[in-house]
Amino acid sequence: MKDQKNKTNEVVENEAGMVPFSMSQAAADGRSSQVKRKILVVGKEHAFTPGVIDYAVSLAQRLGYDLVGMNLKPALEQPGKFFSPYNQHLRAKFTKQAREAWEKTKTGLQQQGIRGEHVVRFNDVAKAVKDLNQRVKRIDFVIADVGINSEEITGEIPLPVFSISGYEGEQVMAQEQERSSSRLVGKTIALGLGSVAIYAAVFWNSGSVMQYFTKGGWFAALPVATVFLVSFVHGAFASNLWSCLGIEATKKVQPRVAPRPAARKRPRPQLRLNA
Amino acid sequence: MHDIAGEAVQFIDLNTMNILFLFVVGFIGGLVSGFIGSGGAFVLTPGMMSLGVVGTVAVASNMCHKFPKAMVGAYKRFKYGQVDIKLGLVIAASAGLGVWVGIKIQEMILAAWGQAGSNLYVSLSFVVILVVVGGYVFYDAYKTQKTGGEEKVSSLALWLQKIELWPMMTFKTANIRISMWFTLPIGFATGMLAATIAVGGFIGVPGMIYVLGASGLVASATELVVAFVMGFFGTIKWAMHGMVDIRLTLIILAGSLIGVQLGAIGTTYVKEHMIKVVMGTIMIIVAVSRALAVPQYLKELGFISMSPTTLNILSKASFVIMCLALAVGSFIILGAMWKAKRAESAAKKAADYSLAEESYG
Repeated sequence: MKDQKNKTNEVVENEAGMVPFSMSQAAADGRSSQVKRKILVVGKEHAFTPGVIDYAVSLAQRLGYDLVGMNLKPALEQPGKFFSPYNQHLRAKFTKQAREAWEKTKTGLQQQGIRGEHVVRFNDVAKAVKDLNQRVKRIDFVIADVGINSEEITGEIPLPVFSISGYEGEQVMAQEQERSSSRLVGKTIALGLGSVAIYAAVFWNSGSVMQYFTKGGWFAALPVATVFLVSFVHGAFASNLWSCLGIEATKKVQPRVAPRPAARKRPRPQLRLNA
Repeated sequence: MHDIAGEAVQFIDLNTMNILFLFVVGFIGGLVSGFIGSGGAFVLTPGMMSLGVVGTVAVASNMCHKFPKAMVGAYKRFKYGQVDIKLGLVIAASAGLGVWVGIKIQEMILAAWGQAGSNLYVSLSFVVILVVVGGYVFYDAYKTQKTGGEEKVSSLALWLQKIELWPMMTFKTANIRISMWFTLPIGFATGMLAATIAVGGFIGVPGMIYVLGASGLVASATELVVAFVMGFFGTIKWAMHGMVDIRLTLIILAGSLIGVQLGAIGTTYVKEHMIKVVMGTIMIIVAVSRALAVPQYLKELGFISMSPTTLNILSKASFVIMCLALAVGSFIILGAMWKAKRAESAAKKAADYSLAEESYG
């Protein structure tokens, strides 16, 4: 009883969008007051990949566990002190989409008698899972959706993390990766074209450009403004270029605690532990 | 560095070789800069001059590329949590004073000893500072590597941090609490060196490490903030005299913005003391390069005599070795990144393999 009450109190937070267990729900179910074990599904889109969430639901049903779904968008994390209304707007949009998607999952869960909770967060994977694990008790393991790569699963996470492989899973994984990497390539090309345009504008008119840019006095603003513009466009292009080539900063992965294998190997789909 | 107000300045014509040269040197300079917080400038300015660019235009155009590159690098490393903005701004403030004094000294020497004297002063400063500081940085990196790769705060810094001299300042990211007075000489020296040899970071970064007690990672990242501030104000001064050749700047920027990102990424892959290794190596090689240029100026001032052929060889060797410094630095950086990436994917493969072997009963 106490466990559930604490959970409800802890959970109230406007950003998280958590749906707390209510006492009446537990009583109505006629279940015991002991908290059930849970599976946490984590994804980086507003909706989980259908193959992944279906597998998680069926697994939860077989094991008699509850389900917690966490949708993350680390890109909207705000490390700085500057308040951005645009960021708030994007967060609200993501939360709304995530909740709508979860509603559909919830109907499926209720039919199978599984309780589901839903959380929306704007931290990176490791931090979000770690934090959630401290607030929500009895999460036994984590299933990572396809958008999460193994580098994001660091030693900070005190739970075993599985991802799905096997014919269906991989197909989905390939689709997702293709989609996000083709978006990145598109952005890079667009920025590259923008950069080329700026350079072309300067060099094709180099005569008059040099005339004005070296006039001195207030005209000093011209070269300064130009390099700022180039820095933003070309700088963003360069950054995306390296990401496209797969060269990004690494989070040094620390040695992990020995995982508890919680699921059997099945011919398809299979759960694969991220080391 | 003095004003050429009133004189018509010639701007060079660009051909494919010039453009390629500037782009490549810009890229490598950016790579080194993103990694150790400074560098590239000392090759670019003489490099441009060897293409026929007038000295002041070379300095001005270089500076105009330096501050946006520093901005992009600082932003990227800020996202990795390595930049201490407050420390950077504090150092930049006293650096401004250092730049002003440095320029005044240059002007005095120019007036008293002429161009040759000025060049001799610049070259000797190069050699002395780079050998002393670069040697120490390299030695420290070597020591750290031998004791297993754990960076330790220097005893000087620890002692200075204990001294309570108002006002005390706390720098969160750098994890330092120290009296403001001890930051002043670092900034001042950075500015003076920047005004003299165009690279302030060679004192700024070791200063932050050994005097203030920042780590190599934070010091090199924070130096980018200092470089940005100094470059920005310096550029405004030069641009107001119409000295910036925007074409050169943009070509160099095209390469350096790509390189600086790679350098910043590299710092997350390698062990921290690698920054000191690269820095020390570059500084020593550049010192050798500058030392080879000293006889030229001694001869011009009449202190020694030497045949023109020897001088010619020395001057060519000096330039080549200077380019070598950058090349070596970038090879070390790329090599270290490559090794680290391979180790990472090998470890991952091993983990996957061992798990696949486990049988889930």
